[in-house]
Amino acid sequence: MRHVIFRLERDRYALPLDAVREVVNAPLSYTRVPHARAAVKGVMTLRGRVVPVVDLALLLAAVTVSERPPPSPKVVLLELARRELGLLVTEVEGIESIEKVGPQNRSRLVRGLARVGPVSVTVLDVEGLDAAVAASFANG
Amino acid sequence: MAAQWDTSRYLGLFVSEATEHLDALGKELVRLEGGVTPEAIDSLFRHSHSVKGMAGSMGYEATTALAHSLEDLLDRVRTDPARLDRAVADVVLQAVDALGGHVKAANAGKPFPDSAALIAQLKELTHSIRPGTEPQPSASTPANAPLVESEGPREPELPPRWLVTLRVASTSAQPGVRGFLAYKRLSSLGNLFRCTPGIDEVKAGKLPNGTFTVELESSEPEAVVSKTVSQVADVALVSLSRVASAPPVPSAEEPKPAEPEPRVVGQEPPRTVRVRTELLDEFLDLAGELMLATAGVREVGRTLEETDRGRLNETVDRLHGLVRGLHDKVMKARMTPVSVITDRLPRAARDIARRRGREIELVLSGSEVELDRAIVDELADPVLHLLRNAIDHGVEPPEERRMRGKPPRGTVKLSVKRASDRVLLEVEDDGRGMDVERLKALAVERGLLTAEAARELPEREALLLSTAPGLTTATSVTDISGRGVGMDAVKRAVEAVGGTLEITSRRGLGTTFRLSLPLTVAMVNLLLVGLGDDVYGLPIAKVAGVVETTRASLAHSRDVPVLQFGSAVVPARELSQVLEVPGRPHDVDAVSPFVVVDTDDGRVALAVDALLGQEEVVLKALRRPLDQVPGLAGVTVLGSGRAVFILDVARLERPVRAAAAGET
Repeated sequence: MRHVIFRLERDRYALPLDAVREVVNAPLSYTRVPHARAAVKGVMTLRGRVVPVVDLALLLAAVTVSERPPPSPKVVLLELARRELGLLVTEVEGIESIEKVGPQNRSRLVRGLARVGPVSVTVLDVEGLDAAVAASFANG
Repeated sequence: MAAQWDTSRYLGLFVSEATEHLDALGKELVRLEGGVTPEAIDSLFRHSHSVKGMAGSMGYEATTALAHSLEDLLDRVRTDPARLDRAVADVVLQAVDALGGHVKAANAGKPFPDSAALIAQLKELTHSIRPGTEPQPSASTPANAPLVESEGPREPELPPRWLVTLRVASTSAQPGVRGFLAYKRLSSLGNLFRCTPGIDEVKAGKLPNGTFTVELESSEPEAVVSKTVSQVADVALVSLSRVASAPPVPSAEEPKPAEPEPRVVGQEPPRTVRVRTELLDEFLDLAGELMLATAGVREVGRTLEETDRGRLNETVDRLHGLVRGLHDKVMKARMTPVSVITDRLPRAARDIARRRGREIELVLSGSEVELDRAIVDELADPVLHLLRNAIDHGVEPPEERRMRGKPPRGTVKLSVKRASDRVLLEVEDDGRGMDVERLKALAVERGLLTAEAARELPEREALLLSTAPGLTTATSVTDISGRGVGMDAVKRAVEAVGGTLEITSRRGLGTTFRLSLPLTVAMVNLLLVGLGDDVYGLPIAKVAGVVETTRASLAHSRDVPVLQFGSAVVPARELSQVLEVPGRPHDVDAVSPFVVVDTDDGRVALAVDALLGQEEVVLKALRRPLDQVPGLAGVTVLGSGRAVFILDVARLERPVRAAAAGET
């Protein structure tokens, strides 16, 4: 299955291409969402649509966020049953085919590890992500 | 001329039309159980016949065979309506469901389910209710009836013949399909002869002047014929006239279309077209975007010189008026009767009642009341759930009802009423009612409440505990309800469309669920306020006034800062704290605006950093996960392209106010 490969800092992650609607440049500012947890960046407008954006690094609590912001952060837009969700990432690298996903690091959010050529990639679970995002919005 | 009948192009139409007929069949059958009339059975027969015809023309043999068996049974019943008892009705419903399964399979391109056993059952039943005297031979055409003229031998006594001339609108996107559908519809009324031009031309949309003529042999009255035609979009009846005598043996001769005094059909019903619902959604979105764009132009105007600005504003005002008008019209086009969801309920009620061993009378009223289709769509599942709930948990089994001195058959009323700018939808049963004490006990057990809080909880709120996730008083979990997953979903769905849910219940007498719903997803007038770099919208309707004062000048009542507002004092709060967003450090001696708003628990003054003006906006509903955020009513996009959250002022303050209770 084809996956979108992207980086959070130096680590590589993958999401199934089927779930990704598009990749856009991160906006300069967001509209803040009341009561939300820190992982929630806010909402952005995209061609009139209001799209919630989550800082994926904070959501996964997987990498230490570096001091300096990445030069050109991207938002990966997931399309989930009639709604959209934006994931803020450091950089998007491309599309690769991933067939075998090993069980390492498996969790609610992570399906496991896969190899793309010489590098190891963490394959994320779309439904798990969605559930975790919903939880970080319903903090109140 | 298309010799090959490419069915794939017609699949969508087949699915929608067949589904309509099957729905109607199920609905009428359930209604029939109240009292059987020959007309009603005729109608059942016609629906089943139509499905058969459509399936036949699509080449679905299994479906045709099943529909044919159903039709035979109905035909037999037609000769002796008294034979339509529960057992027959059950089998007919099974067949309707099975046909529905075929339609779904056709739609999904999957193999059709095997219905051989059901067909055998239908045949057996048909046979078993054969009356002593031989019934009249079936008027139905054989399963694989050709689409064109049938030329079989005639019965000596023929029903009257009509010469029907139809016109397909030149604007129709699919004239061939429309014409063919009208043809099929007419074929459900009786036998068709002589289509001019031929049916293949009609299918191909090759119609001179958009018209074609068929001869119909039918015992239906004139009104039924014209009504049948009027149900096909884009097709109008040009003339309908009686053919004086039986036609000559089909020959190459063309009949003269304008023969015996053709009656031009004068008053046509209001013309309608079918529109995809997605298209309506897009219209609304676009109308909303237009309003935003207009606001954007006004925004630009603010940077202009005074003289130019006046002229621009005049034009923008006019534009705004026009766009507003367009928006209103789009909203009107989106209004959908509640019957879209209630029409299926009698059937559902019957099924649920039978599975749960209940006897139910479902009384529907006010189904013609209209709501925005987005709201109607969202309500379909919740209303079905409320019905299940009423039958499964509300109404007792017949024996128990007898013991309690109630009639064994329970009544569930579903009524819809328009009340000023709201619509009230009530689901009322005459069952056992809810056990408030048990609900409280369960809530305490689950840790949702302390025992003390439970004791003091008013009944109205205690009943709403039944909508807490995972809380159910049902003793057994059934496939129908009782898993406690439903009521919280009902409450959420109702609130998501801007409605409220209220429950009243009396032990032993029954329970009523009352949904109060907005008519439309409407425009709101906002007061925009600034908080740091953020902007929030407060619905003007909820704003009582604004007071500009310093924090230092606030009085205190039991450690809560209060603001003098008119003759009353209202508690004063920082909006940033209410929303849990970072606020700016304040100079207590600096003047700040305090917006006084009406919440469900009384007035509250909210301190903000700035007042940014008033704006009329289109409220967009929040989708997951934003709908999880407490205190938000919706979101809008301003002319500047900025997304602004609209606060649900009525419920903004609830948790905080509860803590500060005791205030006067």
